[in-house]
Formats: sequence, structure tokens, C-alpha cells
Amino acid sequence: MVDPVATTAMMDPAGLKAIGAGLAVGLTGLASGIAEKDIGAAAVGAMAENESLFGKGLILTVIPETIVIFGLVVALLIS
Amino acid sequence: MLKPKQMSRAVIVGHKDIMEETIEALHSSNLFHLENYNEDGSGLKLGRPFENAGDVSKKLIQLRSISSFLGVKKSDAPKQKVNTVLNDLESKLDKLDEEVTAKTEQRSELESRLKELETLAKDLAPFSAIPIEMELYRNYENIAVFAGTVKENVGPAISKVTSTYEMEYDQNTGTVALFVKKEDEATVSEILSNFEFRELRIPEISGIPQTLLAGIEKEEADILKQIESLETDISSIKEKYSEFILASEELLAIESEKAEAPVKIATSEHTFMIDGWVPEDGVAGLESIVNTATNGRAFVSVQEITKQDTDIIPIEYDNPKVARPFQEIMNLYARPKYNEIDPTTLIFISFPLFYGMILGDIGYALILLALAMGIKKMVKSDAVKPLMNVLIYCQVSTLIFGILYGEFLGFPLASLHTDHGTVPGLIAGFETITLFASPIAGEVITYPIHRTHIVMTMIAATALIGVLHINFGYVIGFINEKRNHGFAAAMFEKGSWLVVELGIILAVLGYTGTAPTQIIGIIVFLIGFVMLVKGEGVKGPIELPALLSNALSYTRLIAVGLSSIYIASTVNLIAFDMILPQGGIIAAVGAILVFIFGHALNTVLSIIAPGLHALRLQYVEFFGKFYEGGGRKYNPFGYIRKYTEE
Repeated sequence: MVDPVATTAMMDPAGLKAIGAGLAVGLTGLASGIAEKDIGAAAVGAMAENESLFGKGLILTVIPETIVIFGLVVALLIS
Repeated sequence: MLKPKQMSRAVIVGHKDIMEETIEALHSSNLFHLENYNEDGSGLKLGRPFENAGDVSKKLIQLRSISSFLGVKKSDAPKQKVNTVLNDLESKLDKLDEEVTAKTEQRSELESRLKELETLAKDLAPFSAIPIEMELYRNYENIAVFAGTVKENVGPAISKVTSTYEMEYDQNTGTVALFVKKEDEATVSEILSNFEFRELRIPEISGIPQTLLAGIEKEEADILKQIESLETDISSIKEKYSEFILASEELLAIESEKAEAPVKIATSEHTFMIDGWVPEDGVAGLESIVNTATNGRAFVSVQEITKQDTDIIPIEYDNPKVARPFQEIMNLYARPKYNEIDPTTLIFISFPLFYGMILGDIGYALILLALAMGIKKMVKSDAVKPLMNVLIYCQVSTLIFGILYGEFLGFPLASLHTDHGTVPGLIAGFETITLFASPIAGEVITYPIHRTHIVMTMIAATALIGVLHINFGYVIGFINEKRNHGFAAAMFEKGSWLVVELGIILAVLGYTGTAPTQIIGIIVFLIGFVMLVKGEGVKGPIELPALLSNALSYTRLIAVGLSSIYIASTVNLIAFDMILPQGGIIAAVGAILVFIFGHALNTVLSIIAPGLHALRLQYVEFFGKFYEGGGRKYNPFGYIRKYTEE
């Protein structure tokens, strides 16, 4: 039998919120990283060919960054 | 402002006799963007370079190879008179070339000898403990010589098969020198192979290995010394000639540019025709320069710019001086086209604004301001200066927002009383003043604005800023489009977005019961939607959700700022936890170290994070709404002299 008192102590709402906020930032951070890695590699490759592509490369690379910003916003909303 | 410099197309025509004078005049004016002529079967041919072209470029190549060999760097050398440089160019260049060639030859000889010695020493090394002269290893008729390495002493095994042999064995390196009779060669070789015998190369040299090695070492040291003295000679040559090299390289580059210019120009048998672009305010100046140089024999005519020419008009920025550093940021993306709005002055306002909103900390602003000013003063590079200016503008904005937010290195300046207790401020007696209640989440707007306590309000406010900024982009897009394709196209492509947004706002107002506009809102939205499909095709509806994601993307203005605050206050917390309970010297030193390193790290992050995020908001969210870019750089035919003067 699970002790109900212990369960409530474990399931502290504030703690769960913190876990949720952490997951929101962490997972979206990973997602941004995964999305950016291919773009970044391709952008660096393109820049090696033609340096004037820096601006476009930077833009394309940071587009998925919005994901982690949303994660951060969600984390702020939770906590 | 908001527009690239107005350009005029000018064609200069004249007799070939005066081509040289004309080119000379154009080059010195540094105004005329020369348009390369392509042979198009109209009978006009490309010109031939001037007679001196070959000679000049030969000298230039000679000089540049010397310059790169010596490693002459750009410096603040005083300007030299063109005539003096020209007069002794020939003699000095030959002399310099001679000196440098002699030194390089000497050096490469020495270096190759050094390499030889190194190989020899490597070959000799295994024999060093064996006192047999090297010439004794060779040239026998009846004796077989084995010289090599074995894994252990092979002597006992050899003595089993033959008694007539001579052997030297070095325990340390495993080197063996074995002399046997020719007829025993096969048997001995078999035995040796059991001992993992590996033959060594015997260097073609005579003498005892040990003495030879000592001699080689001495010679190596000697050569190294000689190379060193050559290096000092070379660097003193560099010192002596570097001003001459810089000045004459510039001079020759100018001469070569002029001499090669005719190959870009259309010529007939007796005439030439130079086509190109001049800033509108420079036309009169150009005309008078060409007229004086040719006594009015060359004819400058300003052509009308046709519609298909607008894509190839070279672009020169035309911005007020304060906004000019931001041209670098524009160049990073793309130069504007001739007939679109140049947003440099707009990002001159919005980029520092966003940067300041994100960072908003007095401490970091002061640190970075000092840093940027210092770098600007110390580094004279033309590439760094505008970036430092951008950084300075950003820091001024950060300072203003820092005062607004009341933050210093992550500490709140004013103390704040909340339901959960009091947050003490850095300045004693500076109390937070309550201004009014925010309509969102029951938060209270105060002065200074405590960002960490009104997150919800800030998120809403930043998203609202986003909506405004994006719509500003649509309006500019509308103006661009109207200029290029007329009002209807502008209305369908850019105006439709505004209509869609209006529809959404009306519908939402109706839905929440604020105003009875739900139906009207939906109708307006549908009208906007149809316009959008007509203007942008399938792409329009697909991009519709971007309205929301783009606006939400501006929440980074608060989100990234909060992460910066939290890093700073964590550093402060750790530092103070170390020092507060018991104190002591070690704790104090540790706390100071944590404080300095933590804030140094956050300072670096404070350039990168707000900078990149503010930049991205310009590039992706803002420029995406109106900007095309891709204009050609205005690159006038001429040269900005650095090391010489007339």
C-alpha cells in the first residue's frame, strides 16, 4: 500500500510546476538544437562558398530558435 | 534617408586621343561607377590596355610577392609624395628585389642543408654506440655485412654455425653489425630472421659514427645561427623598406587600375564610349572635371534611366551620419534595391531599442559602454569601428532601460514590498512606487519596473510591440509595392494582411462581448482572406498562422531578458552565500572570484544574446514583411589614397 501522506508530499504542486517548467525549457531547447544543427551546418557550408550569405545564413539558422523562446514563455507562465 | 542615393546614368564619348586623359580624370574624381561593356555585335569593341599596363602589373606582382614574403602590414605610415616615390621606384624596387632574393636563396640553401643533416643524423643514430668506421661497412668481395636491429643478442646463435665472424652489438638500441664469410651469408641470414632482424640503411659517409654525430650537431647549431641572423637581416630590410613598399604598391595599384580600364570600355576605330553611373549631385562635378581634363573635347551625356535598368543601378547609402554604422548591419543582410525603402534609419531606432529592452541593466550597460569605447579607440580597423558604434548606441538604450527597470548587475535598485515579503534594494531608502494596476493577471505596474514580478504583463506588452512592429513592416511593404507595381498590387499583397488583422480584431471584440462586431469581423476577415489569396496565391493562407507566431516571437524581448537577470542574480546569490554566514578571508576571495567570473560570463552573453535576438527580430520578423534587397554596391572608379599624395 502506498502511504497517502507520502504521496501528497511527493506530489507537491509547486514541485510539479517546477518539473513542468523545466521540461518546457529543456525539451524545447533540445528541439531547437536539433532543428538548428542541420541548418547551421548548411549555412556554414554556404558561407564558405560565398561570404555575403552570412546574413541569410544567420536568419535561417535562428528561425527554429522561436521554439525554445516559446518554451521559455510557457515555463514563465507555469511558474 | 529612407532611400538610396539618387543615381544618374552618364555616357562619356570622345576621340581615342583623349581616352587617357579622360580615364585619368575619372579615376581622380572617384565618382563614376564604371559599367563593364560586353561586346554585343554592334561593331564596338573592347579597348586595349594602355602600353604601360604590362610593365606596371609586372612590377606590382614583383612588389606584392616581396611584400607578402616580408610580411609587410598595413600601418599608419606618413603619406609620401607621388613624384618622389615614382622617381626612385625603378631603382629601389630592383635593389630591394636583389637583396630579398639573395637572402631568400641563402636561407633556402641553409634550410635544405639542415634537412640533409637531420636525415643523416637520423640514419647514424642507431650506429652511435658501435665504434666501427662507416666506410668499413661497404665494398667487400668475400665478406657479407649485416647491419640492422634485432630483438636480442644474436651472438650465441651465430657462434653455433660459424666461428669466423665479427660482431658488434648494442644492448640499448638492439643494433647489430655482423661481418661473416660470403658462404655463410644464407645460413646467417636465416638465423637473423628468427631474431626479427631489420636492415638499417648505411649512410654514404666515412668516419666513426659518434664523432660524425657530434660534428653534425655542431654544424646544425651553426646553420640555425646563420638562419637566425638572416631573419634579422630580412626584418631589418622590412623595416627599412616597408614605407616604400606600402607607398609604391598603392601607386602601382592605381596605375594598373588606370592602365587596365580600357578593357571595360567600348571603343570603335577612333572613338571611345564610357558607360556608367554617377550620384545625381555629382553630375555637374563630373562634367566639369572631364571638360577641364580634355579641354571640352570629351562629351558627357546624362541618359534617362529605363525601367529595366533599375535592377542594375549601383546602390550608395544616403543616411544621416548617426545612422551610418547600421549600414553594416544592412550589408550583412543585403543592400537595398534602388526603388525600395532603405530601412537603415528604421533599424537605427528599433535595433538599439530592442537590445535595450532585453538587457536593461545599468551595470552591464556601463561595462559594455566602456569596453566598446576602449576597443573603438584602440583598434583602428574600418571594419570594427561601425560595429563598436552600434554597440555604443545599444548600450545607451540599455542604460535608459536599466534606469527604467532599476537593475544593476542583477540587483534591484529599489526595494519592493510584496505579499510574499520584502525584496531589499541596492540603494537604501529607494522605495518602489506603485503606479497603476495592469489589466493582466492582477499585476501592478510600478516604478522601477520589476520585470521578474510582472511577467504576464510583460509578455502581453512585448507581443503587442511585435504586432505594431510587424504592421509597420506591412505598411512599408505596401509603400514599396505601390511604388513598383501600383496601388492594386500593393493592396492585395500587403494591404490584405492589414484587412485580415482588422477582421480578427473585430471578431475577437465581438466574441468577448466588448462590441457587437462579431459578424462584421468575420466578413472583414473573409474579404481580407480573398484579397490575400489573390495577392500572394497559395502562399498567403499558408503563411497566415505566421501572424501569430511572429507576434509571439517578440516575447523574446522579455524572455531573454529574464534569463539574463536570473543568471546575474544567481551569480550574486552564490557569491553572497559564500561570504555571509561566517566571513573570513578565503570565503571573501572565493566570493569575489565567483562574482567577477560570473558577471564576466554574463557580460559576454549580454552582447551575444540580446544582440542576436534583436537582430533576428529585424531580419526575420520585420524585413520579412517588406524587404527584398540584393542591390549592387556603388563602387566608383578611383582609389582612396592612404600612403601617397599628389
